[in-house]
Amino acid sequence: MTLTQAPELETPRLILRGPEPQDIEPMIEFLLDKDRAGGFGAAANRGEAWRWFVLNVGHWHIHGYGYFTIEMKDTGKTAGITGIWNPEGWPEPELGWVVFDGFEGKGIAYEAAARARRYAYEDLSFDTLTSNIVPGNSRSIALAERLGASFEREYENIHMGHDLLYRHPGPDTTPDGDDDDGSVEAYA
Amino acid sequence: MTTYPDIPVIETRRLVLRGPEVGDYPDFKATFASYRSRFMGGPLNGYEAWMLYAAEIGHWAVRGFGMWMIHDKETDETYGMAGGWFPAKWPEREIAWIIWPDKAGKGYALEATHAVRRHFYERQGWEAAVSYIDPKNLDSIRLAERLGCTKDHDAATIDGSDAVYRHPAPSAAASGQLRDGIELEIDHYCDPMFKPKGMPID
Repeated sequence: MTLTQAPELETPRLILRGPEPQDIEPMIEFLLDKDRAGGFGAAANRGEAWRWFVLNVGHWHIHGYGYFTIEMKDTGKTAGITGIWNPEGWPEPELGWVVFDGFEGKGIAYEAAARARRYAYEDLSFDTLTSNIVPGNSRSIALAERLGASFEREYENIHMGHDLLYRHPGPDTTPDGDDDDGSVEAYA
Repeated sequence: MTTYPDIPVIETRRLVLRGPEVGDYPDFKATFASYRSRFMGGPLNGYEAWMLYAAEIGHWAVRGFGMWMIHDKETDETYGMAGGWFPAKWPEREIAWIIWPDKAGKGYALEATHAVRRHFYERQGWEAAVSYIDPKNLDSIRLAERLGCTKDHDAATIDGSDAVYRHPAPSAAASGQLRDGIELEIDHYCDPMFKPKGMPID
């Protein structure tokens, strides 16, 4: 039995699937890394990190969507997460992404986030999407811009504090998500 | 909301326990926004309460057990939650409960927790359980004692600020003396003639 009823999505190099028990440790490792997870919301301890994993499972059950695990097709390794996030207090449903240590600079976040965005527009019938980025997270800002999103406003996030809201192009103006030239350039 | 077909439904004299559902969230949120939640990590803002509720649901999927929502058998109204809780930081599997502030004093926590403990022991093969209780949470300590728990001074705590109450082992919990005593107390709550008076007890 799987933990969620998330669909399985595919890109040229990646599988996006629901969170499963084998993702717990990589996720905890990421959330405990204050440097890498700062822009996402680092966990203070292992208990808090574990709780984030289970609440993402609960998010899938409550909303019918949440963060996918990004799995590499060639090695089966967990490369990060991407998906749609919408807890209470959030300004709007958000497209988010995280790439784990060792998987950066390969265009994985772009490929995964673009696919998750297409899923939100085509399968969930969203008509707009945002990304919330903490000031100074230049890598995420670069990726948001590469995805065609543009800065809309600053606001106070209930969890993250001062935050930047980027808005993505709508369903009608979004490219289909596959990296057009198939290249693997770094996103930042 | 996708429900879990494998969350068992537990019925007691006055209550039915089911998995947490989206529609039950407002009562949960109100309780965790209130002073009532001060011994359970609260009070929480809306974001924190929602994230905790999502974790309650995810815990079921990841652990195969979790906290049930306590409903009135007749009206379906919710009274609180009771069940098992075992996040990564916990030394042992915990039996936990919370009753909405305006539903306390009717024995619902006793009735629900007695039933979930029996479920864990007899259906899920648990051989031990504890409850981690803030030493200032006198109502919960009293409930633990009514359930036959004893303070375990040697057991590991969550973070040093909680006391560990150890539940009677399955054989002791199934013994006539303890079980009959708990069930007699529940009977008294059910019968208006015998409603205990004067103590704000769960």
